[in-house]
Amino acid sequence: MLEAVARRWWQQRTVDTQRTFTTFLAMLLLIALAAVLSRGVFIKPTNLLNLVFQNAILGVISFGQLLVILSAGIDLSVGSMLGLSTVLLMIFQFLGLPVALLLTVTIPAVFGAVNGYFVAQRRLPAFVVTLAMMLFVYSLAQVISGGAGIYSGLNGAPLSPVLVSFNRRGLLGVPLPAVVWLLVLAGMALFLRLRLGHFVFAVGGNERAAVFSGVPVTMVRFLAYLGASVLASVGGILAVARVGEGHPAAGQTYLLDSIAAVTIGGASLSGGEGTMIGTLLGVLILGTLNNILNLLNVSPMMQPAVKGVVILLAVYLNGRREQR
Amino acid sequence: MSTDRGERQVLPRLNDYGAALVLLCLVAYGVFRVPNFLSEMNLSAILYQYSIIGLLALGQLLVVLTAGIDLSQGALLALTSITTALVMVRHGPVMGVLAGLAVPAGVGVVSGLLVSRLRMPPFLVTLGTMGIARGMAMRIANARPVPIHNEAFISFGSGTLIHVPVSTFLWVGASIGLAFFLTRRPFGRHVYAVGSSEESSRLSGVSVASVKLAVYVLSAFLCAVGGVIWTSRLGSGSPVGGQNYELESIAAVVVGGASLFGGKGRVDGVVAGVLIFGVINSVLNLSRISPFWQGMIKGAVVLLAVALTQVRSGAAIRAPEGMARA
Repeated sequence: MLEAVARRWWQQRTVDTQRTFTTFLAMLLLIALAAVLSRGVFIKPTNLLNLVFQNAILGVISFGQLLVILSAGIDLSVGSMLGLSTVLLMIFQFLGLPVALLLTVTIPAVFGAVNGYFVAQRRLPAFVVTLAMMLFVYSLAQVISGGAGIYSGLNGAPLSPVLVSFNRRGLLGVPLPAVVWLLVLAGMALFLRLRLGHFVFAVGGNERAAVFSGVPVTMVRFLAYLGASVLASVGGILAVARVGEGHPAAGQTYLLDSIAAVTIGGASLSGGEGTMIGTLLGVLILGTLNNILNLLNVSPMMQPAVKGVVILLAVYLNGRREQR
Repeated sequence: MSTDRGERQVLPRLNDYGAALVLLCLVAYGVFRVPNFLSEMNLSAILYQYSIIGLLALGQLLVVLTAGIDLSQGALLALTSITTALVMVRHGPVMGVLAGLAVPAGVGVVSGLLVSRLRMPPFLVTLGTMGIARGMAMRIANARPVPIHNEAFISFGSGTLIHVPVSTFLWVGASIGLAFFLTRRPFGRHVYAVGSSEESSRLSGVSVASVKLAVYVLSAFLCAVGGVIWTSRLGSGSPVGGQNYELESIAAVVVGGASLFGGKGRVDGVVAGVLIFGVINSVLNLSRISPFWQGMIKGAVVLLAVALTQVRSGAAIRAPEGMARA
């Protein structure tokens, strides 16, 4: 009886919901495993708080990557974009925090718009356009910073005290990086429920159908790349608040991790399928994994291999198959 | 309307020879504006490094032609390097090279099976095997380089024949061989067919799964050949080498006019694509441009080359005239 009810409930869900549910179970399993293996250290509040700090940046960036992947594209420049943002935020400290923040978001947004122009308007392959942008932006960040980490703005202006104490403060007991993560989550959730948000799925799902239904395909694609760059710069701001340094290479690990998080969360690289909750779970799974590998003193050498196996497993379990 | 027809005639040619055109311009710039560009030392430096990327790019082309992608190439190069060095220390150069060729091919079999039998997406499969290969290389080497003391093996990598590096002969040979197979043999036609339409290939009796398996194994094998040369040049096995080589090989393939959606791409274009990267690097270095600036120039050139070679790749779908917007 119960089984029949459960089965009917399951069959009535959409594919996206089913995948999200599977991912959720996988995460619960991983957390249980982590708690047991680490003899309870994993679920201590300090460690969980650490988990949030460590993953707020990846969490924010992955939402940008999700947006682009939903539109059947990919953005390889998010990591470099994050690096550039940390450098810009540091350099512009002498202008005061509000102006510095504004420039930190708008300059990467311009590069995101260039990505969008070439992919959406000129219809060049996203992989190569954003690869070129990745090289370009990284190099720009190196030129500005002189290739090394920088710890103060022009004229030696120190990092604004607001950013220095950012990680130690909270809103209603929630640490500020997590608040930013939640705000981005809420913003994305709202956006994807707007008409424009539905268009993103439409463009990625079936471009021809979208065009014939009057969806402004070019505009939607363009906005996805713009959004990814803006979110990468928000990630950059969080990174500066976390380590107090601007560095061109600050975002290097985030590129592959963001793609991994989105796909572990059940999104399809051919576009049109994927959920925010899935991506959120993907980030938490990757974060939990990194966290237990460290807690268990697994050598950092083996971490790429473990991540590789988890990606393969997740893709296999999600039942994601290519069809043509 | 007349411009439309004109475009259709001119653009395909531009598409086919765009990479060669860009390469020609870059070489001309190098010859006339950059001192020492034509020196033997510089030319052989380009050939040494880019023969290896060139071998990777040939494998990448095969995979891309079937609408796949191989992100594990750089990691496989490192895995080859470390396997070759470690086995060579104990069992001599022949066993070392054989093991170096076999282990990555094994990883290629895994990628190929996951893509062809389980129909998992190539991007994610090779992202996974990339991590696994890199992790394996780091683990067995304990994250340290392994020195090689075999003189014969080391001299092979830096050896030349009539002033041309031996590795270049391997690259040229592999390119000609692949071009022959792609254009003149059934296997080549099957590769293009699978990339153009899997469904029609299957219905015409092409074994889609075997073709897909074969391209991933071949790609891994070509990485291994590149890795052996690379190790021999370096004189040691390194687990951290080859980082981002896969991105360079993908870029070379796309700049060479191939489509990442499969079914379109040629060996000559890819060779030109690889040489474009070699010449840019060499011109930038010889002109003493700071490495910090080089990425910007490279990024701009890649974008330009892609804009030239992929002109028609994504002709916009147009809605009927006068249709209302949503």
